[in-house]
Amino acid sequence: MDSLLRRVKTKLTIHAHRKVRGLIEGEYRSVFHGRSMDFDDLRPYVPGDEFKDIDWKATARHGSPLTKRYIASRKHTLVLVVDTGRDMAALAESGESKRDLAILAAGTAGYIAIRHGDMVALVTGTSEATHYMPPEVTESHLERVLQRIHSSTTLAGEPSNLSRHLDYVARNFRRRMIVMVIADDRPLAADEQRLVRRLTVQHEVLWLTIGDADLMREEWTGSEMYDVADSARVPEFLRHDTALRAEFSASIADAAMRSEELFESLTVSSRRITSAAGVVPGLFRLLEAHKHARR
Amino acid sequence: MALIAWWAPLVWLGATAVVIAAVVWYRGRHRSSTAAGIPVAHRERLTALPAYRRALARYRLLVAGFVVCLVAMIAAAAMLTARPAAVALVTPDLNNRDIVLCLDVSGSMVDYDAAVLEVFQQLSVEFTGERISLVVFNASAVTYFPLTADYDYISGQLARLTAEFDDPDAPYYGGTLIGNGSSLVGDGLASCIVRFDHADSDRSRSVILVTDNFVAGEQIFTLPDAAKLAVERGVRVYGINPGDATAKDYLDDLAVEFETAVVDSGGAYYALDDPGVIPSVVDRITSEQASVLPGIQQVQISERPQPWIWLAFASLVGLGLFGWRLKR
Repeated sequence: MDSLLRRVKTKLTIHAHRKVRGLIEGEYRSVFHGRSMDFDDLRPYVPGDEFKDIDWKATARHGSPLTKRYIASRKHTLVLVVDTGRDMAALAESGESKRDLAILAAGTAGYIAIRHGDMVALVTGTSEATHYMPPEVTESHLERVLQRIHSSTTLAGEPSNLSRHLDYVARNFRRRMIVMVIADDRPLAADEQRLVRRLTVQHEVLWLTIGDADLMREEWTGSEMYDVADSARVPEFLRHDTALRAEFSASIADAAMRSEELFESLTVSSRRITSAAGVVPGLFRLLEAHKHARR
Repeated sequence: MALIAWWAPLVWLGATAVVIAAVVWYRGRHRSSTAAGIPVAHRERLTALPAYRRALARYRLLVAGFVVCLVAMIAAAAMLTARPAAVALVTPDLNNRDIVLCLDVSGSMVDYDAAVLEVFQQLSVEFTGERISLVVFNASAVTYFPLTADYDYISGQLARLTAEFDDPDAPYYGGTLIGNGSSLVGDGLASCIVRFDHADSDRSRSVILVTDNFVAGEQIFTLPDAAKLAVERGVRVYGINPGDATAKDYLDDLAVEFETAVVDSGGAYYALDDPGVIPSVVDRITSEQASVLPGIQQVQISERPQPWIWLAFASLVGLGLFGWRLKR
């Protein structure tokens, strides 16, 4: 079986050359503001580290910035809440599969967490069932998590029911955790908003939206298109209409903005990801935004 | 309105049904292997837009127009192949008649001749296809004009001869005095009878002979001889004798001879003394001819494709326009 985690690492390596990977690790570390008081060791500063963690005296002796590392008082847990309804098997805005973007995002976040010594758990499912994979800290576990997401997201699958999984998280996890929701691109329903509000009290909530396909995309005008919800055709004859195309992109931009405002009002850091190339930078911006929001 | 190839619309109907059935079958077979194409989620992002509804309504209108044009086109094609025609039961007029006016232009006859000419002058306006010839005779016969259907010419000639009758100096009798005697009726009639051409074609041939049968001189043909010739050639002779009713005894024998000759040929004999009666006599002659030679009733079928051609053309234009708008 092709290793999904290797793909994630490859993606991260590409970004490592752009000095983003270290950035992400630094941002991830700062998701929890709490610091243990037990000093562990020093390591070179990477952009994204808190300035207050820099050991200025050691830096002066050494000649380059050094950051203090503390022994984590406890292991954190990253809970990946991934929607695996059939809507997630459709295409994303870039034309890639939304599932692949979700796996890439989950894999990146999970890998960073594991490298940081944290545990990764998975809550996934459809309208019919919610599945839970308990937290572990190994790469093989992360690989299984990603494989689980991969295999359960199919076009023939059940529809989504995100509130069911959010409810599961809210009910079952007492300890404070990092909850990263990787969700479908649609406005949140009232009950979902209520659950999200409740979750933000209990946990650190990060929200990644996988952007849906551009239905009026010009390269697709010649091909058949169907909705995964009911296999209904999206009429080909109207996808040429330039006026309709303009109105569609305007409405999509408007919807994205309203969704952003909604998450803002829910005090949840959110990010909309539209392509595989945008996953790592998107994740970075999400963590950065979360750090600056000081939630 | 009738259809010559009445079965053609049925063929079109059948062909259309077959095409529709084939398309339905084909689409049904390919519908089963659905899920081909680009899988997307939340199409209501597009379909809920008002612009989408407008575009869809416009598209449906175009499709409806296209379908209407297509149906009209097929209907027009079906009707055209069915060859719509107007059917009429036509009794052809006796327009295959040949009439030779055979006028005795001896002095006493001129008034009657003029009356006959006047009647034919009027009739020539109504004629279609009849051919008329005019022969005048006295001692010898002169063809004033041969059998022709050129009614303008006939009319002109009749007018000219009528004018000449009124003018005492006019040479209307030119060429009619060559011969031994005057009013050589037998020779005149025989001359008229041989004026008919196309002896082998099936036409009604009649001579309208205006004379008093007052012969002076030696004839080659006697009137009975000429009548025999007429019978041989299938020519009917209608006699108009203005001299009969004057009850002159010496004329009586001549009148009887005239009547016998004419009736033998299958024609009719009219004795009169007033030129005013001539029009009614000519009417009777022409109507009698009609009864003698009734035209065979014919079914006349004339195709009437014009409205369907226009419909086909209009729907073709419509198809082009709607198709162009749909393809855009």
